[in-house]
Amino acid sequence: VSADPRYSAEVLRRLRETPGAGLLAAEPGSVQGCAGDREQGAEVQIACTVVQGRIAAARFLAFGCPHFIAAASWLTDQLPGTGYDDLLAWDWRAAAQALEVPAAKFGRLLTLQDAVRDLSRNWPGGQQSTV
Amino acid sequence: VSVIYLDNAATTAVDPRVMEAMLDCLSATGDYANASATNHAPGRRARARVEQARAEVAAVVGASPEQVLWTSGATESNNLALLGAARFGRARGRHLVTSRTEHPAVLDACRQLEREGFEVTYLKPGATGIVEPGQVEQALRPDTLLVSLMHVNNEIGVVQDVAAVGALCRERGILFHVDAAQSAGKLPIDVQRDAIDLLSLTAHKLHGPKGVGALCLRREPRIGLVPLQFGGGQERGLRSGTLPTHQLAGMGAAYRIAAQEMTADAARIAGLRDLLWQALGAVPGISLNGDSGRRVAGILNVSIDGVEGESLLASLPDLAVASGSACASMTAEPSYVLRALGRSDRMAQSSLRLSLGRFSTRADVETAAARIREEVERLRSIAPAPRAGAVP
Repeated sequence: VSADPRYSAEVLRRLRETPGAGLLAAEPGSVQGCAGDREQGAEVQIACTVVQGRIAAARFLAFGCPHFIAAASWLTDQLPGTGYDDLLAWDWRAAAQALEVPAAKFGRLLTLQDAVRDLSRNWPGGQQSTV
Repeated sequence: VSVIYLDNAATTAVDPRVMEAMLDCLSATGDYANASATNHAPGRRARARVEQARAEVAAVVGASPEQVLWTSGATESNNLALLGAARFGRARGRHLVTSRTEHPAVLDACRQLEREGFEVTYLKPGATGIVEPGQVEQALRPDTLLVSLMHVNNEIGVVQDVAAVGALCRERGILFHVDAAQSAGKLPIDVQRDAIDLLSLTAHKLHGPKGVGALCLRREPRIGLVPLQFGGGQERGLRSGTLPTHQLAGMGAAYRIAAQEMTADAARIAGLRDLLWQALGAVPGISLNGDSGRRVAGILNVSIDGVEGESLLASLPDLAVASGSACASMTAEPSYVLRALGRSDRMAQSSLRLSLGRFSTRADVETAAARIREEVERLRSIAPAPRAGAVP
């Protein structure tokens, strides 16, 4: 009864424990994707290291509502092992479904999708298909 | 999880002494009879309880008992005051004055009156939340029928100068309504001295029960009201419905206790509020919302730059506090009160209202401040660095 019905248990866990939060050391092969604006209530940076065309590690920094922070955290769990084409195909709906994000917050997840697109634009060595 | 309750501006715990008074009116051996059934002894005893409570409430606001009309709470009192007085007096004038920071029970009643052909001037307070009496004076017109101003704002706790506005209205023969839901029993207010014609009161903000309130009406000359509900003709035909004796006894007890303990309670709670502000003051980017001097003891409203209010609130399941963020308040927009003060959406979104009551303790305040500091630091540590030139 006392559980907050606005958030799934996974959203609250990721908000409170924030797995994947932080920075990565700048090194060859590191890449970053940014999107959003604090004034608009949601801002995110995704940082990754890319080894042999695939993401080896990912971290995030985020400002926003619990769903947005949780989705950024969830994304950094999904990114390792993915390549450039996977980024292009990434869809915010996967995060919405995994975290039971309400429709009113879908707009925030589009900000996350923008960050993934930015990540692909900044892919080391330019656009390189792994297919 | 044990929760520290700092949401006393929303509602308060019922004082055990109030519960005792209420229980006396509920059981088979108590005064449970219908207070209108004065043809038998149990009914007369219930009536005596009701009238005792009426006197106890009246005493706190400088009124005589006959001036107190029972309602279901401040929302109904505000509706009856505005809709009832405006509909009764529409031949005299169709203009009302209020402020943008009133409770929705006043603002929505004003919107209804606009649909009925009235005009309403909504005054914008200054950055501290204060509506200056001069602003009210400038807004008055020959056809102004009524001015409505809350005594203490429910979000930011600032205290309006109702006595000065009351004098302005009285000089001009304009009705003056005050919503005292957050102030009665916490701050001195006197309907005679402050020239208040209609005063809305509630019990549950003062450690009384929910579901009961009162509208205090000027007697001489008598104020005309069109009732909002019809039935058995209770409360001089202005508010029909069987009187809830236990609720009224509870409200009476809550007001009697407040009258006895107001000074001591206010001093102790103000001390706790200052301690809380001192402890939170160490948080970089924190700012107080509302006037720093003219405020009720129990309410502290702060904005914390660089932290999203909904996330902060969700990170503090061990604290029961309120936020001005849109999602936390279940509205589409961040707090309209803070925005009326000129706060940006982002700062309104990052606001917290911490409100103390009779049962708040020093340990509550110290723990709450430490937890807020901890979570602010954590959320900032996972946020991107603010861009250069960003405006708070």
